[in-house]
Amino acid sequence: MLNEKRIDSTFVFRVIGLVFFAYLFLGFMVVPCWNTLTSIFTEKTATGDPDPFAVIRFFLAGNMKQYVWNSLKLAVILVITVNIVGISIVLLTEYFEIKGAKILRMGYMTTMIYSGVALVTGYMFLYANDGILTPLLTNAFPGLEKTWFTGFGAVVFTMTFACTSNHMLFLRNAIRGIDYNTVEAARNMGANPFKVLLKVVMPTLIPTLFSLTVMTFITGLCAMSSPTLLGYDSINPEIVRLAGSSTADESFPQARAALLSIILALFTIILLTVLTAYERKGHYLSVSKTKAKLQKQKINNPVANVLAHIYAYVLFIIYMTPVVMIIIFSFQSYTAIRMKRLDFSGWTMINFFGTEDYEFLTSRGTYKTREGAISGVFSNEDTLGGIKMSFVLAALAAALACVIVVVACNYISKHKKSGTFLEYALLFPWLLPTILICYSYRTYFNSTDVWYVANTNLYYAENVKLLIIMAYVVTKLPFSLRMIKAAFYSIDTELEDAAKNLGSGPVRTFLRVKLPIILPSVLAVFALNFNALFTEYDMSATFASKYGKTYAMVIQSMTMDEGLYGYNVNASGRRCASTVFIMIVSGIILWLVYGVGARDLSERLAAKKRRQEFFAKRFGGRKLKTEP
Amino acid sequence: MIKLNDIVVKFGDFTALHDINVHVKEGEFFTFLGPSGCGKTTTLRTITGFISPASGTVFMKDRDITRVPIEKRNIGIVFQSYALFPTMTVYDNIAFGLKIQKLKKEEIDKKVRDIAKKVDLTDEQLEKAVSQLSGGQQQRVAIARALVTSPSIICLDEPLSNLDAKLRVQLRNELKKMQKEFGITSIYVTHDQEEALTLSDRIAVFNKGYIEQIGTPNEIYNHSATEFVCNFIGDINRLEDGIVAALNEKGAGLDTSWHHYIRLERLHVNRQTDADHFVFDAKVESSEYYGLYIKYTVKAFGQTLRIIEKNDGRNP
Repeated sequence: MLNEKRIDSTFVFRVIGLVFFAYLFLGFMVVPCWNTLTSIFTEKTATGDPDPFAVIRFFLAGNMKQYVWNSLKLAVILVITVNIVGISIVLLTEYFEIKGAKILRMGYMTTMIYSGVALVTGYMFLYANDGILTPLLTNAFPGLEKTWFTGFGAVVFTMTFACTSNHMLFLRNAIRGIDYNTVEAARNMGANPFKVLLKVVMPTLIPTLFSLTVMTFITGLCAMSSPTLLGYDSINPEIVRLAGSSTADESFPQARAALLSIILALFTIILLTVLTAYERKGHYLSVSKTKAKLQKQKINNPVANVLAHIYAYVLFIIYMTPVVMIIIFSFQSYTAIRMKRLDFSGWTMINFFGTEDYEFLTSRGTYKTREGAISGVFSNEDTLGGIKMSFVLAALAAALACVIVVVACNYISKHKKSGTFLEYALLFPWLLPTILICYSYRTYFNSTDVWYVANTNLYYAENVKLLIIMAYVVTKLPFSLRMIKAAFYSIDTELEDAAKNLGSGPVRTFLRVKLPIILPSVLAVFALNFNALFTEYDMSATFASKYGKTYAMVIQSMTMDEGLYGYNVNASGRRCASTVFIMIVSGIILWLVYGVGARDLSERLAAKKRRQEFFAKRFGGRKLKTEP
Repeated sequence: MIKLNDIVVKFGDFTALHDINVHVKEGEFFTFLGPSGCGKTTTLRTITGFISPASGTVFMKDRDITRVPIEKRNIGIVFQSYALFPTMTVYDNIAFGLKIQKLKKEEIDKKVRDIAKKVDLTDEQLEKAVSQLSGGQQQRVAIARALVTSPSIICLDEPLSNLDAKLRVQLRNELKKMQKEFGITSIYVTHDQEEALTLSDRIAVFNKGYIEQIGTPNEIYNHSATEFVCNFIGDINRLEDGIVAALNEKGAGLDTSWHHYIRLERLHVNRQTDADHFVFDAKVESSEYYGLYIKYTVKAFGQTLRIIEKNDGRNP
């Protein structure tokens, strides 16, 4: 009787799970994207006859090719520049003996705590037409135009330094994993440090470099915030523009946007297939029985040594200047920021909290005061609204993605065959550029004909928030799955047997035994997802709805003309303060993930003991309860 | 106590266990011994309920438990990896089964502390994370957790295999001592002959899903039933025709239609012999010095023989 009951409940859970995942996969991954694909071929001629290849003809004849070419050009150049900078910063901090390597590393890692739109607006604050460093640069280089920081060059410059985070994460780990004995063996046979680097070290890094190259290429191809803000005609900004356009203005804009997003998807699929095939080969595995820790190599040639140090510190300055300047100016007054001049006597918190009145000269030559127009991040309604919106959407989506993946992984770890189907279904969005998913949602759910969402227009008014959450969840599923699945597979299968043997049912075993083991990984994934989504720009820009105006959208709007007729006052100040706020949030999250979250039970117990001892000492030896 | 009747276990087309019949007596320390993939762990998992046999019956105290769920069998298990829950303290690990039985907090506390005392775990250790304990202490936690719910029998699945040689010997002795103290019926799985011989009251030797022999350590070692058991339990020389004929000439009376084997320690090199020993000439080809004993490789009647001789300082 007991067994029958259990079988029944298990069966019911399985059916519910199956229906849910089928709904998610078909309803929010396959059908909307398929709709985008087919919309390319459903255009009609002026006479109303179907013309399936109209868009493709338009593409081949018109200037649409230019956007694809521009994106490809950006991707190729970035592969070169990002790899040069990425490899150098890793070698300078991990392989060669460079003085001040720890400080250099911190500088090079700053892109991990601010990226995307916050980083681009930060660079604009420094180098744009009215940037604080522009006068300095134009004086130093007389040939340099004031408007140098726009278009292709500016995008390459910004993204080169913005996209090295993966190098600092993965290449750094790879180089740290090198067996030092192989370096010693090469040196022993007469190779100089550079020869060792080229012939021994670099070949072992090739798999990691290949993955990084593919990832950088895809990043370049799908770039959104840099081209949008710095004015470069690449695929993504064009898709967003076309999505918001109408047939009254130009020929079949939606179908063209669909074609561009499908082209992007094709490139992504090809690149990821190549990457996966390459990774499966599994080259260059270490054959060492016992690995020796890598020791830093001294550059013996004094000239090369000096040049390496100069190069390292120039890069450090490039990385650190925006960070330092933004932090400093975030505590400067509105006037100081407008004048681009530091006012050492006028430090203020106005860019974060509080308001001030703003006096401006009208076109009639009279002064007018706008009360409270100079406002800080947390006093400005629009900014605070964006923060709240992003906080709620990111937190909900990050949590939902984790819950879905945890449930899925629990199933996948137990059912190899059917679990594989589920795994591939959840990895499916990995093949699709986020813009394709968001564009597809925007067009497909902008209707009351979709029966499986109860004929509700999800793009309409407040409903768009739901659509953004779904887009966030779906795009975060592949990453969450890869991370959480790895955690699930690290659970000793005997633990489940042991719990079962001690009388624990499946739910209790999951909640009391398995979940606590994977919880640090789940929380880490939640935090990393939240971090990425909180300042996410690409997706919310694609939805471009005033009902779903996220923090990144608000930051982007801060780059618009400032102070004209008393509007958008102190946007630069809030921009700086926003970047500082994002750095703090990201810093705390990374600390929680890699610092606190990585602690095991013994470390947590030790920390608890330290806390108890501290309080006991502090509060006069009052006896604290330590017994369970 | 535990009786397996004609147990057959299949994994798809592969038959892992063929008609296994075992009877483990009350209070006995019974060992399943055999090489990897021979079916010893599968048999243990059939007893514990993790595997359902294709046919056959499992009896516990004459009650058919073949289809009884794992948690209702009242069998304690010590796993190969110990399977201690890493996110719980030692105390919580031991108390886990008692909490599921919904015992009162005070009762749980008493039982946990009682069993901890018996397996030499201190109150301080109970509050630690399992990762803070040594391998030996972890083994004691695993045993305490398995025993705290007062199971009818305890199954130990290669609990010493992850430890280094020295610790293995030390814990083996402790395990035997504990089993005697608790007086609980124990089924032990191992591939280590030495472990099986030193710990067990009786041993079942497994090979390719069959039981080759069940017997006491002495029976298994000195009266091996099959060539496999002979070879698996300790080193042995198989006597070829030439040497058998030579021994028969000296009056050994060996039946030439059978294969004959001799343990390495039953052969001696240059020793004063008793009347029941046979003496023949052989050429020492090599010797390996082990301190406590010396291993010789000799050639006699065209056959290579291996010999272990105790090192008493008079060896050649």
